[in-house]
Amino acid sequence: MKHFVLASMFAGAIAMPAMADYTIIAPANPGGGWDQTARTMQTVLQEEGISPSTQVQNVPGAGGTIGLAQFASQNKGNADALIVGGYVMVGAILTNNSPVSLKDVTPIARLTGEYEAIVVPAASPLKDIAGLIEALKADPGAVSWAGGSAGGTDHIAVGLIAKAAGVDPTKINYIAYSGGGEALAAILGNQVTAGISSLGEFDAQIKAGTLRLLAVSAPERIEGADAPTLKEAGLDVELQNWRMVAAAPGLSDEQKAKVTADVEKMVKSENWQKQLADKGWSDTYLSGADFDAQLEKDVTSTEAILKDIGLVK
Amino acid sequence: MPRRRDTAALVIAAGLALVAGVMLWDSARLADLGGYSGVGPASVPRVVAYCLLGLAVWTVVAALKGDFPARPQQNVPPVLWIIAGLAAQLVLLHVAGFSIATGILFAFTARAFGKTNLAKTLPIGIVFAFVVWMVFSQLLMLHLPPGPLEHLIFRQG
Amino acid sequence: MGAFDFLLQGLATAAEPMMLLYALIGVTLGTAVGVLPGIGPALTVALLLPVTYRLDAAGSLIMFAGIYYGGMYGGSTTSILLNTPGESASIITALEGNKMARKGRGGPALATAAIGSFIAGLIATLLLAFLAPSIVKVALVFGPREYFALMVLAFVTVSAAFGDSALRGLTSLFLGLALACVGIDQLTGQARLSFGVPELLDGIEVTTMAVAMFAVGEALFIAGQRNHQEDEVTAVKGSVWMSRRDWARSWKPWLRGTFIGFPIGAMPAGGAEIGTFLSYATEKKLTKHPEEFGNGAIEGVAGPEAANNASAAGTLVPLLTLGLPTSATAAIMLAGFQQFGLQPGPLLFATNPTLVWGLIASLLIANAMLLVLNLPMIGLWVKLLTVPKPWLYAGILLFATLGTIGANPSSFELGMLLGFGVLGYVMRLFGYPIAPIVVGLILGPMAEQQLRRALAISQGDWTTLVHSPIAAVLLGIAALALIVPLILRARGKGQVLSQLAGDED
Repeated sequence: MKHFVLASMFAGAIAMPAMADYTIIAPANPGGGWDQTARTMQTVLQEEGISPSTQVQNVPGAGGTIGLAQFASQNKGNADALIVGGYVMVGAILTNNSPVSLKDVTPIARLTGEYEAIVVPAASPLKDIAGLIEALKADPGAVSWAGGSAGGTDHIAVGLIAKAAGVDPTKINYIAYSGGGEALAAILGNQVTAGISSLGEFDAQIKAGTLRLLAVSAPERIEGADAPTLKEAGLDVELQNWRMVAAAPGLSDEQKAKVTADVEKMVKSENWQKQLADKGWSDTYLSGADFDAQLEKDVTSTEAILKDIGLVK
Repeated sequence: MPRRRDTAALVIAAGLALVAGVMLWDSARLADLGGYSGVGPASVPRVVAYCLLGLAVWTVVAALKGDFPARPQQNVPPVLWIIAGLAAQLVLLHVAGFSIATGILFAFTARAFGKTNLAKTLPIGIVFAFVVWMVFSQLLMLHLPPGPLEHLIFRQG
Repeated sequence: MGAFDFLLQGLATAAEPMMLLYALIGVTLGTAVGVLPGIGPALTVALLLPVTYRLDAAGSLIMFAGIYYGGMYGGSTTSILLNTPGESASIITALEGNKMARKGRGGPALATAAIGSFIAGLIATLLLAFLAPSIVKVALVFGPREYFALMVLAFVTVSAAFGDSALRGLTSLFLGLALACVGIDQLTGQARLSFGVPELLDGIEVTTMAVAMFAVGEALFIAGQRNHQEDEVTAVKGSVWMSRRDWARSWKPWLRGTFIGFPIGAMPAGGAEIGTFLSYATEKKLTKHPEEFGNGAIEGVAGPEAANNASAAGTLVPLLTLGLPTSATAAIMLAGFQQFGLQPGPLLFATNPTLVWGLIASLLIANAMLLVLNLPMIGLWVKLLTVPKPWLYAGILLFATLGTIGANPSSFELGMLLGFGVLGYVMRLFGYPIAPIVVGLILGPMAEQQLRRALAISQGDWTTLVHSPIAAVLLGIAALALIVPLILRARGKGQVLSQLAGDED
């Protein structure tokens, strides 16, 4: 009898309709970019009444691939589950040999993005990007680059720059730091030749004159940033460190359309725009087939450069 | 009596040597990406492994000399109850939800410390864990895995 | 004088009754969540930050400051009473603090922690207010080689926490260093010792390890000896309050802890725990009661607690002057500030003085509020020890697993908690000290990464390590700390020294 009661309780729980509100997985620890994106989504989704009780769950680890794997395996067909991710995940999937890739989830939309900025300390003798490239060509080992984790966006960007300049990407002297903050301290303290990270990380320092901005990885000049693009400097490099939201695998077309509509409603709200402005994130919203194509392109080019640097075999 | 202590210490020494062996084996497989530093990803694990080997030898010497302190007498069943409680929570967490899984851990731990009546401690544990679940997941939005019990009461989450 | 005016203005705002109420709520909430084992200040602040969003800027700043201090102090409370440090910076507090609590001196231990935290917080906040721009210049001089030298110094000095057996202390430390190798190598992205298990790629979480080693290992150990009544914990013996002697023994450690913790917190890659290690080692060297170390020496609680709080204020130096979040907590704070349109950076003090000084004033008020709230509470906290053991340990394990599940709800993490709990139990059985394994896990990766960064920048030239004056001096102190005891021992004073090294765990 007891078993029966217990069994029916379990059955009841499983048969019960899934909760109507979104659960967002942030595949990172509290405090980082993905976590903040997830929590901002939570705030806006709740305040705009799109999903009155939204939960954020942190599943940290290995560049987001642990969260991604868990998300893909546990939520098949669950239209209420979302995961935040980004360009870093593309590289992490490759370097970690992750069994689960972005093909195993349903990417919905790109939400925000930042371009990479190349800086030197104000005291550096290097005045422009051409000077830096010249130094790199002369002796790649003598040019140390501080940036984020090995195989991440910053490392990939340096690899792309070296390759475009005709320098062997395996010869770059890249010094990986755990985060933008630590790297920034090393650059400000004149410990390294140059630094590379999202423009937002350096913005305040550049304005204060303690760092010199040499170039940005955008397709065209960024408003308010006084520096040429890498393309203008003759280096064919363009890289955006974007963040996206994806839904669970195995959704029906209607389910996917509903999630896409909810996300669009969120992105178009004034509240979201205000949150982006507060945080200094730019709106690079892209969804549907355009986003899928962009994603495909990023995966191919990232795989190629990681092989060139020697991080992926 | 001293002989028994020696055996345990020798097992510890073997364990240390085993850890060192695994580290050496693992570091042999790493590509040498030392780059400009000359110190690659395999270097530090190797140094640590050799030190562990040295400590294993030292442990053997100490064991043979009888240098290990006497162990306090241990009562094994209570220890196993707590381990069983933690294991049960681990296995049941995603199936039965936080409250039931943690309630079992609670009751088993109380059992280990002398409250043997599981029929009483189990409900107490589950109710206590459920209250904790409510506070953290509903008020503080901390994600704790829900199960049938949580769904029963918070049908709409 | 401008700065001083701003501070007074900020204090006036923060001292309004409504603001004091917000500070009280913040401190209470922060302490309540922070006392749970496994939930450190970072998670506490992350969980409670949304509560502050509903207030105006001044209100949320002050509540936020309260949560921050409350969360930190809450962690110390459980470390002292239950031996369950919820974060790496309170591991050292648990060493002596819990020994004191077991002897019925939990009251003085909590009091010296609270007052020490208050004094350290006060001095460090004032240093932050008036010297931040100059301190940060010094902090930036620290590059990889200087950090490496600092880590070496920390390694040498924490050996003071090794207890009576060099063999068992070193074994524990090297096991920690071995565990520290697990995961992706940060400098090359290669996976080490993870055997294809994705959950191991990020290495072993220090919090999980600390909670397992201390809380779970301890519960198993106590359960195993439950028939031995002589180990019964006495809740209170003597006064709950600090005696004259306690005061006399505490005030210097408070000050020393403050001046060790603050600069280390201000360094972008320092880390709060290193300050607590160095402070503990200093107190152990300077104390007039070396025999008490390892058995509940009040200096061993007073110093590290002050260092911990001072270093927390120190973290705000790079945050406010450079916009650098150098700890998880600081990163969450940054997110909180952005909510009121405050962009930390080099120009912050100039462009946004009202908010900055408001924050500093809030920190001062919240710090005082913490003392006001917690001193009367000590009697209550100590009563926790009178909870019958079955319920007490059941509760400890419930909250210890709650912290782990809340931070990362994976069965794998719980499995690690169980595995390391058993390891902690076995180590206790054979007289291995617990602290060095956790210290190794924390310091190992820092030392390795800084060494390799320094060598990469110098392109493989090892002499770079002593080319900077700061690094050379730090390494010199470390060498002295290592060699002097050896010489003393060789000259026949070994007897004295081995008596100095009190036994522990």
